[in-house]
This record gives sequence, C-alpha cells and structure tokens, in this order.
Amino acid sequence: MDMLIAPERLELAEAVRDYLAGTHGPEVLRRLDAGPNRDPAIWQGLVDMGLPGLLVPETHGGLGMGLLDAALIARECGRVCLAEPLVESAFVATPWLIAQGQTANLAAVVAGEYRPVAAHAINGWVADGEGESVASIDPLRRLAAPVEAQSDDPLLLDLGALMSAAQLVGLAEAMLDQAVEYAKIRTQFGQPVGAFQAIKHKLADVSVALEFARPVLWRAAQALDDGAESAALHVSHAKLVATDAAYLSAESAIQVHGAMGYTYEVDLHFWMKRAWALGGAWGSRAFHLARIDAAVIGAAHPIGPENTFA
Amino acid sequence: MHLAYTPQQQAFRAEVRAWLAANVPPAPLLTLECEEGYHQHVGWERQLASGNWGMVTWPEAYGGRGLDLIEWLIFEEEYWGAGAPLRVNQNGIFLLGPTIMEYGTPEQKERFLTPMAAGEKIWAQAWSEPGAGSDMAAIKTTAFRDGDHYVINGQKTWSSRASFADWGFGLFRTEEGSQRHKGLSFILFDLDTPGVTRRPIRQLHGHPGFAELFFDDVRVPVENRLAGEGEGWNVAMATAGFERGLMLRSPGRFQAAARRLVELFRQHEHAAAPSAREAVARAWMDAQAYAYNTYAVAAKIMAGGKIGAEASLNKIFWSELDRTMHRTAMQLLGAAAELRHLADGSINEWLEGYMFSLSGPIYAGSNEIQRNITAERLLGLPRVGAG
Repeated sequence: MDMLIAPERLELAEAVRDYLAGTHGPEVLRRLDAGPNRDPAIWQGLVDMGLPGLLVPETHGGLGMGLLDAALIARECGRVCLAEPLVESAFVATPWLIAQGQTANLAAVVAGEYRPVAAHAINGWVADGEGESVASIDPLRRLAAPVEAQSDDPLLLDLGALMSAAQLVGLAEAMLDQAVEYAKIRTQFGQPVGAFQAIKHKLADVSVALEFARPVLWRAAQALDDGAESAALHVSHAKLVATDAAYLSAESAIQVHGAMGYTYEVDLHFWMKRAWALGGAWGSRAFHLARIDAAVIGAAHPIGPENTFA
Repeated sequence: MHLAYTPQQQAFRAEVRAWLAANVPPAPLLTLECEEGYHQHVGWERQLASGNWGMVTWPEAYGGRGLDLIEWLIFEEEYWGAGAPLRVNQNGIFLLGPTIMEYGTPEQKERFLTPMAAGEKIWAQAWSEPGAGSDMAAIKTTAFRDGDHYVINGQKTWSSRASFADWGFGLFRTEEGSQRHKGLSFILFDLDTPGVTRRPIRQLHGHPGFAELFFDDVRVPVENRLAGEGEGWNVAMATAGFERGLMLRSPGRFQAAARRLVELFRQHEHAAAPSAREAVARAWMDAQAYAYNTYAVAAKIMAGGKIGAEASLNKIFWSELDRTMHRTAMQLLGAAAELRHLADGSINEWLEGYMFSLSGPIYAGSNEIQRNITAERLLGLPRVGAG
C-alpha cells in the first residue's frame, strides 16, 4: 500500500508544467480569445512532448503511460486554462478507443494528426467536434451539437469525469494563486488586503478544499487505471470534490479581486468559466452524488475504516 | 502509487482484528472524563499493553512493535472499526511520546516511554494559561533554576486529563525577563509533586474533563527538561505538529463515525430532510478523503519527508468534519437528540460526541490560528500582529 506518487512519475508533469508556464500565459488566452481560439503551434508543442500519445501503448509508438500520469498532466492543463483539446482527445477519447480495441489510427494520434472526439449522451454536445456550433460562456471552448450517435458507455463517462476533475483541481489551484498574488499587492487601509484575516481565512478554506481533493483525485485515477470494480464510485467522489473546490476557489478569488475581478480585463474570468464548464460536464453534481448515494447509503459498497481502499 | 496491501500487511490486519475481537469490551465504557470512566479506560490501556498493542510504531525496547506508519494505520482502522474505547493516554502516546523519541536523551526514553506504552503513567498536557490561549507565546508561568531543580510558580488551565492523570508536560518560562518564544523550556512533571494543586473544571457535558493547575514553589529535577534550556518553543511546535498533523486523529475514527451515521440515516430515512441525505454521503466522502491524505502523508514521512505547515490544513479538516457529522446526526435524531439515553437505555453517543466535537475546532490551536498559519506559511500572505 503506497499512496505516494513516485518522484519519477511527477517529472513528466513537472516538465509539462514548466513548458506551459513558459508558453501558455494569460496573454496567449487573450490572443486566442481575439482570434480563432486554436493555434497549431501550441498543439505542435504538445505533440513534440509526446502528449497525444501519452496513453497509447508503446507498441503503437506512444508513451504507454497510465491514467494517473494523464491526470497529473490534465491538472497542469487546467492550471494554465489550456485551450487546445489535449485532455478530451488524448486522455478521454483515445483511451476509450483503445479500450474498445480500436487501434487502427493510433499512429496518427501519436503524430498529432488525428484528434479523436468522443460524444457521450450525458453531455449533449461534443467538445472540438464537427457539427453546428454551440455557444459556451467559456470563450475558448468549441462546442458542437453532435452529428453522430452519442455513446452511453460508462467507461467513457468515467474517463471524462476523471479528467475533468483533474483539470478542475488545476483550475482551482491557479485561481487561488491569482487571488493570493492580488491580495499581496492590493492595498487598502494602508496595508495589503491579504493581511486582513477575513481574506486570509477565505483563501485558507480554498487550500483546505484542495488539500483534500487532490488525494481523492489520485486515488480515483489509480483505481480506474487498475480497472477496480469500485472505480466509478471513486471517480464520482473526485468529480464532486474537484468541482466544489473549483467553485469555492473561483468565488473566493473573484471576491478577493473586488470589482476588478468582475471585469474582462482581469485574467481570472477565463479560469472561472472553464471551471463552470467542466463542473457540469461529464455528469452533473446530481449524477455523481447519486452514484455515491447508491454505493454508500444503498450499501452496494463496503464502508468503514477497514475498507479504506475497497 | 500502489493501492493494495501486501500479504504481510493483510496478515497483520488479521492479527489485530482477532485480538480486538477477543478483547474489546462488549459494552461501551463510561466516559473517560469522569473518574470511574477514567479508571476503566486506564484498565483498557493496560489490557492493550498486555497484548503489546500500546503503541505499535515504537521500538520493541520501549514496549512497541517497531512497525511502520502503514501498519499503524492498519492497526487504527481495525481499532476504530471494532468500536474500541478512546485512548485515555493520547496526550502521552501520540503527542509527548513522538516528541521524546525525537528530543529525549536515552535515559528519558527509558524512563518515560516504557511506562507510557504500558499504560502505567497517564499524561496530561499543560499548555494554556489564563492569559495565553491562542497566543501561546504569552506564557507567564516560571520555572527558575535552583541548583539541580526548577522551581515552578504560576498557573495552567484547560489542562486535558489533569483531573486524574499521573504526569503532565508543558512549556514554562525558564529565563527571567524573557519575552514571547524565547526563554521557554519544555518540562515534564509529576502531578503529585508537592505544591501542585489541581482544580477540576466541569465541562459542558457535566464531567471534569480538564483542570486548572496551580504551581506553588513546585520543585522539578532538571533532568525532567526535554531538549535544551530555552529551546522549549521549537520542541512544543514539534509536538503540535504531531497533534495537528498525523497521529492525534487517525482517519479510522472518522470513518467509523461516518459508517455509524450511514446506519443512523437508514433508521431515520423516512423522516430525514433531503439535505441530510447529501450530508451523510458527504460524511463518507470526507472521512475517505482524510484517510487517503493520511496515507499519503504517512508515505511521505516514510520516504524521508516531514510534516510542515500543512498540518494546519489537516486539523481544520478533521475537526470540522467531526462537528458536521455529529450535527447531521443530531438533526436526524430530532426530538431524541436531547436525550442523554436512547430508548434502548444506551448512552446517546451522538449527543456526547457532538459536545466533544465542538471542542475540536478550539483545542490544539484554534482553527482561526490554523487558518492564519495556512495563509501566512503556505500561501505566503503578509503576517500581522505579534508572531
């Protein structure tokens, strides 16, 4: 039993974090917002790091890594509010196709030339898919009304929910960082507003929510990767706590920014809108809560201290 | 990350489970906050020690089993799952013990750890003073040197277990005229030393769970000081780290409470508010999250890491989780919430537990202090006031 994420597993995610921090700052979001939302050069950078093939077996030219690795990287994508459809394509649709034995196009996936799209009935839209455009409040999301039949496969839903949870954690972390930085520089009553306990305690609460969302996320990723019978329960748990943490972080961050936070000029809104989008995608709060309810209150799952990892 | 127990860990779990099944008292003990219940719990500590279960992580030389933190967590899971009694010596085994392990001399380890694991000496803590609560650096009680003794004068308060315990530990000002964190020393003392007066304080449940301690020229040998003279603050912070960080509240306790809450909900489902249903699911989620986090912290420590200011996040989370779970139970109980005994004659443990849960966000550094620590040390927000 080991809940530690091995340092060597963190290295790739840290490399992705460094790369995105250096190439995908808020100025990029503004440029994409003013233009066509997508940038082949950004996508190519992700391809050069091997990320579309992260979950593709090595026999097909991919990196052959697992869902925990993907979740670690999805969190980094959330942290920078990545616009390119890496997570939904490479970490949701691709492993789902592989699980169904659809391996014909994997070389093109690894090369970044083919970006699989998976439409699930629970969403009612497809991200970065073909079809009539559907407007999202998130200016960098590209939603389309699905033209093909939508799947109702629970594995696809779990992959989507897990990777949304991972991005939500990254989004929440980034919004907390933005609020902290603003609270340090904005002065009122002769001191930084971050010196006031009312601000400190609000932001400390976000830290608490995140501290106890992260291990749920990693545990869910590992459970789904292991093919554990209870994986769906843990994915729902992760989706709920990540969504709650992201909403809390967003509302706390806008409050700390004051009226500045309500403007289009401050970067915060990009992250906040992505959090709203992903919080409802791949299963609403009610959907995931119902799965937990059925397992825990409905006695479908063993609970109690002897069953921590059941 | 590997989410399966080794065969050795599974065998250990089976061993713990079998011992507890044969030894846990069939009926709950009286509360350890009353004198009779205290002595019942001391008896239980000695029974645990007879099976060599006093503190499984300690070296065998001090009455432990030399096990690692994962095995400790397994022990705790089985312990709380079996409905075993509260640990009356928790101040000793979970707080002072690890501190002595880190800062004590070989003589101090031999002298204090062995009887602690054996349940022979029960420990009280003596941090707070009338003028030093959340602001612990405002401690005024003095312990000045007189030859090979310290002479203690002053007053401590809210001293947990001090109504009945054998020994106490706390911070005292050993340097005359010193201020704040400086000039403090960490001293252990026999509560029966001449000059110590205990005045039990009746808590809101009616029992004397803590006490005031008055020190009137109390002579304590210098060898009872832990670490160097004047280094007490850092030693106390290490103790507080254990308290907030890992050991004091193992996840098994909350997971067991969450399971009982689920069972209570099933009994009251027909009359439960819709919000109760989510609160019950949430109790399971949060207790599980706390367990995963504890396993991650344990793994980090085993890999050579340390617990830092994130211990404050832990303390906020478990104390508020505990209060929320018990509040949910009180609401489910409805008109029965106020009854000290339920229809079957058993003690209303949810009521007792709710009262106790109200102390969690206050003791071990109030949650307001923990939020300040979080904001200043983890988030880097500006510090204000005297630090």
